[in-house]
Amino acid sequence: MGKNDYVGGGLFVALGVFIWAMTFQFPGLEGGHPGPSLFPRVLGTLFIFFGALVVYEGWKTREGKEESLPGEEVPLNYFNPILVIILIAAFIALANKLGFIISGVAILFILMTKLRVSLLKRSIVSVALVCFVFLVFSKLLRVPLPIGLLGW
Amino acid sequence: MDFLIQGLGLLLAPKVLLVICICSLYGLFVGSIPGLSATLAASLLIPFTFFMDPVPALVSIVTMSAMAIFAGDIPAALVRIPGTPSSAAYTHDSFALTQQGKGEMVLGVDVVFSAIGGLMGAVVLMTSAPMLAEVAMNFSSFEYFWLAALGLSATVMVSRGSQVKGALAMLLGLFLSTIGVDITLGYPRFTFGSVELLNGISFIPAMIGVFGISEVMRNVMQGEMKFAIARVQAGKIFQGTGKLFFKYKWNVLRSGLLGTFIGILPGAGADIAAWLAYAVSKRGSKEPELYGNGSIEAIIDSGTANNSCLAGDWVPALVFGIPGDSITAIVIGVLFMKGLRPGPMIFEQQPQIIYAVYLAFIVANLLMIPFGYLAVKTSSQMLRVPKNILIPGILMFAITGAFAINNSVFDIGVLGIMGIIGYFMEANGYPVAPIVLGLVLGPILEQNFMTSMIKSDWDLTLFFMRPISAILGTITVIIWLFPFLAAFLEKTKKSRAS
Repeated sequence: MGKNDYVGGGLFVALGVFIWAMTFQFPGLEGGHPGPSLFPRVLGTLFIFFGALVVYEGWKTREGKEESLPGEEVPLNYFNPILVIILIAAFIALANKLGFIISGVAILFILMTKLRVSLLKRSIVSVALVCFVFLVFSKLLRVPLPIGLLGW
Repeated sequence: MDFLIQGLGLLLAPKVLLVICICSLYGLFVGSIPGLSATLAASLLIPFTFFMDPVPALVSIVTMSAMAIFAGDIPAALVRIPGTPSSAAYTHDSFALTQQGKGEMVLGVDVVFSAIGGLMGAVVLMTSAPMLAEVAMNFSSFEYFWLAALGLSATVMVSRGSQVKGALAMLLGLFLSTIGVDITLGYPRFTFGSVELLNGISFIPAMIGVFGISEVMRNVMQGEMKFAIARVQAGKIFQGTGKLFFKYKWNVLRSGLLGTFIGILPGAGADIAAWLAYAVSKRGSKEPELYGNGSIEAIIDSGTANNSCLAGDWVPALVFGIPGDSITAIVIGVLFMKGLRPGPMIFEQQPQIIYAVYLAFIVANLLMIPFGYLAVKTSSQMLRVPKNILIPGILMFAITGAFAINNSVFDIGVLGIMGIIGYFMEANGYPVAPIVLGLVLGPILEQNFMTSMIKSDWDLTLFFMRPISAILGTITVIIWLFPFLAAFLEKTKKSRAS
């Protein structure tokens, strides 16, 4: 974890400094006692302390190599998690314009394409699943899902 | 007695019975799929509980979690992968026995002893929670502050991997809880002018993101998982379990009580209960050499402990409003969502709901026998459900569930961001459960601290003046100092040895 710990610990230290900087804008209580700033400042201090500890731990283990057993490694697809986030962002951007059903079917279809589900299967599953979710949330639980182009 | 009958009446309503059946099947399904945890199942269930009355909402979580923790044993026995982390302790033993042709017996033991453990936990919950609630009636903001601090400290102490990283995860949850209007002056903190952030980070989308989206991201990275499923004749799975019960009755009693006690400790969940019961079992066993190579005694002990732990987790959640684990952190969120404030007053004001929860534990664990049998019979089919279809389905439910709470796409953004945070933190060895506990306990911690400070005119010594507050405070401070003391002692030991 060595290098990653530098980055992770450093980010937490930076978050602690940021929290401290922000709290100077917060008002205090009567009598000069800290009010809304007290709890965030305690947290900011602890972020800096523990973040620095993680950096230190990373520095201590920088020479150590992670153990991996031969033959146990599974090929990982690093693009797929990014795709999930892109699809969530696309849903946020499109849901109000296209509606829940079209946006939902689109993101499921794309994700299943990337996960190598056959064309027939992904077409049926994405439409059926989105319709099922729509019926459960919109009709049964009365959630006003975005309507969009289909008008329902 | 009246409240018991009222609770039973609430539980036996047809709608609630239907919820119990559906959530049993849901818990069994999710629990038996490796890679999907009981916490994920609970987080996806919450948007549905939003639309339920308090009793079915709470009962759904009780039933689902009991079934999911048991169902995690099934893939452990059949494919050597635990369905949930709670079954990890005895996975090797389960699979080794399956390979020896005793898979039928293992699955029968899993069903029966999970149910017995769950029932034992329910009995302890029913007896200890009202007594503790009586004590908690005398608590003030000082005691509640220390309880919240103790819960968070214990969570960090028992978190997997580095405790420093556990502390940072907990601090992140606490920081997220400060976003929005503050409690002392009503000043907006860390909102950056966003109207949506004035009410703070919505707990449910954040939780689905941390547990659900991060798990989706991890699963899509691994691609399709195909398992070599061991063949088991699941005909007479209960044959011989009676004999085993009488042979290991003291083990069952010990592990049931140990598991419940672990559950009552804030922050420690079913996985820790199973590992501890396994260690205790091995130490007291006449056949320790079998542990790891196929010990039925290990499975009985750990399987009893992890299910008994579930009811124990509810004790601090109901009595003090302090979650026992990540699932009860979700439960506390649900209680607040339903306008119920967990704590001793709920035992006075809504006792029928508490009794319905007690009875739900008993019903869920009794139902585990037939439902568990059904799950074992259909286990090979459940394990064949293609993950490349299941995972996109979970994504769809997560997005819709996050939207449904406030009917806002902003919450889908929270879901995505929390998913990214959860994913990267787990990938770098940070446990994510403390984030949720921090998010839940943050407002309790800050509110009780500020109330105490204002009450005491900023005199910190008053935190140690009341007897219970002083005890809780001392335990908490010892936990804080423990890593430094341990490091110091180890250094001294090493220097002496050299």
